[in-house]
Order: sequence, then structure tokens, then C-alpha cells
Amino acid sequence: MNLLAEPVGASHFMAVGAVMFVCGVVCMATKRNGLGILMGIELVLNGANLNFVAFSSEFLRRNTEYALGVDGQLIALFVIVLAAAEAAVALAIALNYYNNHATIDVDRADELKG
Amino acid sequence: MGFHDQISSLVEDTQRSLAMFGPELTLCGTIVLLLLSRLILGDRLSSTLVAFAGTVVALIFALFSWNEIAGTSQEAFTGMLVVDTFTVFFRIFLMAFGVLFVIFTWRSGIPDKEDAADFYTLALGSLLGMCLMVSANHLLIVFLAVEMASVPSYVLAGILKGRRKSSEAALKFAVYGAGAAGIMLYGISLIAGIVGTVHLPSAGQSLANIMANDPSGGVLWVLGLGGLMIMVGLAFKLSAVPFHFWAPDVFEGAAAEIGGFLSVASKAAAIGLLVRMAVGFGYAEEPQHAEPVAQQAASQQALADQSPGTNAAAANPEDGVFVSTNSAQDGAQQPSDNEQENTSEQTPANDGAEDDGAAAEAPSEDAAHTADSLAPVRTYISYLVGLLAAITCTFGNMAAYGQTNIKRLLAYSTIAHAGYMMFAVAGALPLIGTSTSNAEYHIASLAFYVVTYLFMNLTAFAIVAFMRNRTGSEEISDYAGLIRTSPGLVVCFSIILMSLIGLPPLAGFAAKYVVFSTLAESGLMLLLMIGAINTVISLFYYLRVVKAMCLEEPAEGQQPVTFPIWKSVDGWFVLVLTLPVVVFGVFWGPLHDWALAACRDLLP
Repeated sequence: MNLLAEPVGASHFMAVGAVMFVCGVVCMATKRNGLGILMGIELVLNGANLNFVAFSSEFLRRNTEYALGVDGQLIALFVIVLAAAEAAVALAIALNYYNNHATIDVDRADELKG
Repeated sequence: MGFHDQISSLVEDTQRSLAMFGPELTLCGTIVLLLLSRLILGDRLSSTLVAFAGTVVALIFALFSWNEIAGTSQEAFTGMLVVDTFTVFFRIFLMAFGVLFVIFTWRSGIPDKEDAADFYTLALGSLLGMCLMVSANHLLIVFLAVEMASVPSYVLAGILKGRRKSSEAALKFAVYGAGAAGIMLYGISLIAGIVGTVHLPSAGQSLANIMANDPSGGVLWVLGLGGLMIMVGLAFKLSAVPFHFWAPDVFEGAAAEIGGFLSVASKAAAIGLLVRMAVGFGYAEEPQHAEPVAQQAASQQALADQSPGTNAAAANPEDGVFVSTNSAQDGAQQPSDNEQENTSEQTPANDGAEDDGAAAEAPSEDAAHTADSLAPVRTYISYLVGLLAAITCTFGNMAAYGQTNIKRLLAYSTIAHAGYMMFAVAGALPLIGTSTSNAEYHIASLAFYVVTYLFMNLTAFAIVAFMRNRTGSEEISDYAGLIRTSPGLVVCFSIILMSLIGLPPLAGFAAKYVVFSTLAESGLMLLLMIGAINTVISLFYYLRVVKAMCLEEPAEGQQPVTFPIWKSVDGWFVLVLTLPVVVFGVFWGPLHDWALAACRDLLP
């Protein structure tokens, strides 16, 4: 299936979502800065959100009975709120870590091991 | 349905649902009260007291809802949550844990007066999320509940603000947790997109239909990948290998109280959610209208046979089968004579010798085929969970061997026990296909395990916390020679450790016995062997602690602390929690019956 030759459907949105997901995971795996990791997590969440919104639309699905409808859009809204809450908590924790260690380099968080 | 009707039905549904939501509402009220009381009353109202009262009232609500719910499975809040005895069982469990946890933290003094309101707000908020986890009936709630349980526990891990280790533990927990939750959400989005619904039972039905129609390889890959990603999130909550990295670090860095909280409540909720998800995707109720449709098809067939005009219909009874499967999928679609003729022209007439009886039987076989089409899904989940469980169990026990810090040792022990609990899920799933009551019996063994695990692990962490308050350290070497100064404590701790190994006649043995019997019944002999070998391995590191307490001499110039079990509230707390471990080891019938009653409505 050639995505470029087809009319825009859910697959195209999924492709963008998948790219965001992979970018996010790579970001989580490679960044040493704690805040960089949090950004990667946001990318993953937004990639999933894109999927939900694309799946919710009846116009993008070839088989309309499999469209999520308003459920998908509501999930996306809830995830946005939750991502904000999670970011707030994670940033507070990162700040607390910085206060104690004077760095947010996660590679130097190695006092606990074994 | 008009707008007004919709609103009024929504109001009705909400009122009905709120009545079933008592314990959670109480927790919400307690949280608000905790936050407001400090604003208005200052320090005059003790936060510990408020939290205690709140959890006790919630527990009472949960206990009273048992009889109302028994025997039914109701959906609440337009299908977002499901309230059945399984939910109520875990609610009672979590609320009872909440009560014990508040008493424990009151005695151990980890949230000082300053922090108490924040601490209990976070802990109760996390408990609320866990209650939602075990009653999740909607993929949104699955994700929301996991996050609601996780996010406050990240903060709880770092509640000791000035400590370097504590802040490191919180950072690791938050980063791993948020990452795992993100991956889980992506997996949920993939699965929701394929099955076309986010309502868990409907998703099971839809999945059964998809699997029955021989899906293409691509669809199977996406389903498998989505399942794997959801498993990442659940494995993180369960601290299953390879997503366990946070557990030892968090347990060592955070206070022992938080260790107890995460290892008991969080794990129980995660295993409850795992059961919900596994049952949701691995079990679809047989379509209720299958039988009437079959009869209807047969009667139509008879009609067609009697009427002389329809010559083609008389030729093949298969025709009725074709129509009836169609109507089973599309609802009540009445086939007209014209349609029947059309289809019979398209389908080649074969086996005119088949009689009406065969035609009536065939559709019900087909319905069974639809329900059974989930068998590969169950096998997939069962193998995935079983594999993770085997690795988790073995790794946890191996890694615990070299630990010198008691909290770290208990963390690896927790990981190993998560493996044992997952064994029960892996063992019960394949049984759903053959006998649902049998599968329910084996899921009950899991519920039984979780309850005994509460007493074992909460007591272990309580002893660690109380010892920390007396010695200021959490190394195993500090327990040396304890038998001389405080024999009562040593006896209690030894009983707990023996029970964690699974030696008879303690509760740990009964729990392990029922879980392993599940594996034997479903024929997963390899897992059974791995479990048995692991039990032997675990013997060594638990007994090392007992050996340190009983046989080893304390280091030069160090005096073992005295912890008289009879003379302090701490001691009594430990004693009262140890008692059930002994009692349930001998009289485990009633508790197991209760667990069985809890799982009776899981597979309707």
C-alpha cells in the first residue's frame, strides 16, 4: 500500500503518530538530561493522542463501524490534562533532585544500585 | 432519543452509580477535608485522625456493599466502571490496607506533623486510583486509573525532601513510570483502533468477531504489538522483569512505609487490573441471541420446506445457516423470501441429504466458534504473562541473594512474589475456554494470594520501619544478635520470612499451594517447575536474615536494640499482623471461600 498515492485516511495519521512515538522513545532512551526525557514522554503521549483522534473520525476509516466516535476525542482530552498533571509532578521531582544533587543529569543518579 | 431523554437517563444512571461508589466517594471527601482542615483549623485537627476516620468509613462502606452487589455484575457511570464482587473484594482489601497503613504510619512517625496532611492526601489519592484500577471497564479508565495510582506515589517516594537518596528514588520512579504509561497509552490506542471500541466487554466481543473472520497478518501484528505495549505498563506497575528497575531503587531510597504501600496496595491493584484486562480481551460472552436465532432459522427452514414455491431453498439447508450467522452479527435482520432466493442462487447447492436437525445444530456450533475464536488471544496473553512471570520470579530471587540492605532484599522479594501472582493469571487463562467456573476457581487462588501477601509484606515493612526508628539503619547486619534482646520480635519476623518462603503451616504455603495447583491443572508444567525451583532458591536469602538475627554476634561495641513486643504499641501492631499469617496457614478455608465468592461473577 502506497500511502502517498491514497486519499488521506487513518493510516496517514497513524504514520505521523508512529513517527512521534518512535521519536519519543528514542528521546527517552538517549537523553541524559532529566527534562529531555520528560519531553520524550510528552511526544509519546501526543503520538497516542493523534491515533485516538484519527480513529475517532468516521471519515478517515474505511470501515465506519470501527470508528471510535466521540470516545476517541474524549480520551485525547483526558490525556492532555493528565500529561499536564504528570509534567507538573515530574518537574517538581526534578527540581527537588536538583536541589539535592545540583544536577539533573540522570546518568549521575547512581547512588542507588545493586 | 431526544436530548431531554438522554439527560434524564444520564441523571438516573449517575444516581444509581453514585450509590455504588461509596468507598471512593468517602476517600474523595477525606482528601478534600485533609486539604481544607489545615486551611481553616490549622494544626488543631490531626491529619492522621482524619485519614484514619476516612479510611475506616470507606472500609465500612465497602463491607456493606458486599451483600448488595453479591451475585450481580453492574456497570456504573455509563459503562466506565464495573461493580461486581471482584471489585468489592479488592475495595475491601484496599480500604483495609488503608486503615492498617494509617495506623502503621502513625506509629512509625514518617510523615511528621508538617507533612502529614500532604502525605495522607497523596496516599489516599493513590488508593482511589487503585480502586478504579480494579473496577476498570473502559480503556480510558484503565489508563487514567494507572496514572491516578502512579502520580501520587512518585511524590510519596520523594516525601523525605532533604535526602539525596529519596530524591533520586523519586526521579527514577517518575521517569520510568511516565515512560511506561506513555507506551501503555500507545498500545491502548492501537488496540482501540482495531477493535473499534473502548468499552472493555464490547472490545472482547469485537475482537472475537475479528479473530473469527481470519484477520490478515498485519492486523494480528498490530494486535500483538498493542498487547505487548499494554503489558509494558502493567509490568511496570507489577514491577515485573524487565520493567523492575525502579523497584529496588525506590524501595531503598524511599521510606520503608512507602515500600510497604507500593509492594502491597499498588501490586494488588495492578494484578487486579491484569485480571480485568486479560478477562476483557480473552473472554467474550456467548451471544445471548444465538439460540433463538438458531431456532428461528430452523423454523424458517421448515417453512421453506413446506412451501412448494421456493424450490431452491429446499435444496440446501446450508442456506439457513448462512442467513442465521448474518443475523447473529447484524442484529435482528429478517431475511425475506427474495433474499433467500438470491443467496441460494449464489451458493452452490451441496449436500441436499442433510436434514433439518443438522441445520439447527450448525448455527449453534458457529456461535461456539465465535466465542472460541478468542482461544489464540488467551494463549497469547497466557504465554506472555507466563514468560514474564518465569523471568520475574527467577530474577527476583537470584538478585535478592546478594543484598545487604533489608529494604532492597524485600524489594527483590516483592519482585519475585509478583512473578508468583502472575503465574496464577497465566494458569487460569487457558482454562476459560474449557470451563469458566474452573477458571474462576483459579483466579480466586490469586485473590487469596493477594490477601495473605498483605499480611506478610506489611508486617515485614513495619518491622523494618520500627527497627529503623530504633537503630537508625536498615542493614541486615544491624539485626545480628537480636534474639537475645527481643525474642518476641525475632519470632514474629521469622514467621513472616518463613511465610514469604512458603513453608507450611503458614499462610504463604497455602497461597503458594493454591497458585501452583492452578498451573498443574492447566498443564503448564514448565512454569510449575520454575516456581518450585524458585521457592527453593528463595529459602536461602530469607533464612540468611533469620540466621543473622538468631546466630550471628553483633559487631564489636554494638549493642543490639531492645524491642519488647509486649510493651509497646509498635510491638502489638506487629503481633496482630503476624497472627493472620499463622491463622490463615491452618484455617484457610473461610478466606479461600470468600475469595471464591469474589470471583464468581467475573466470567458471566
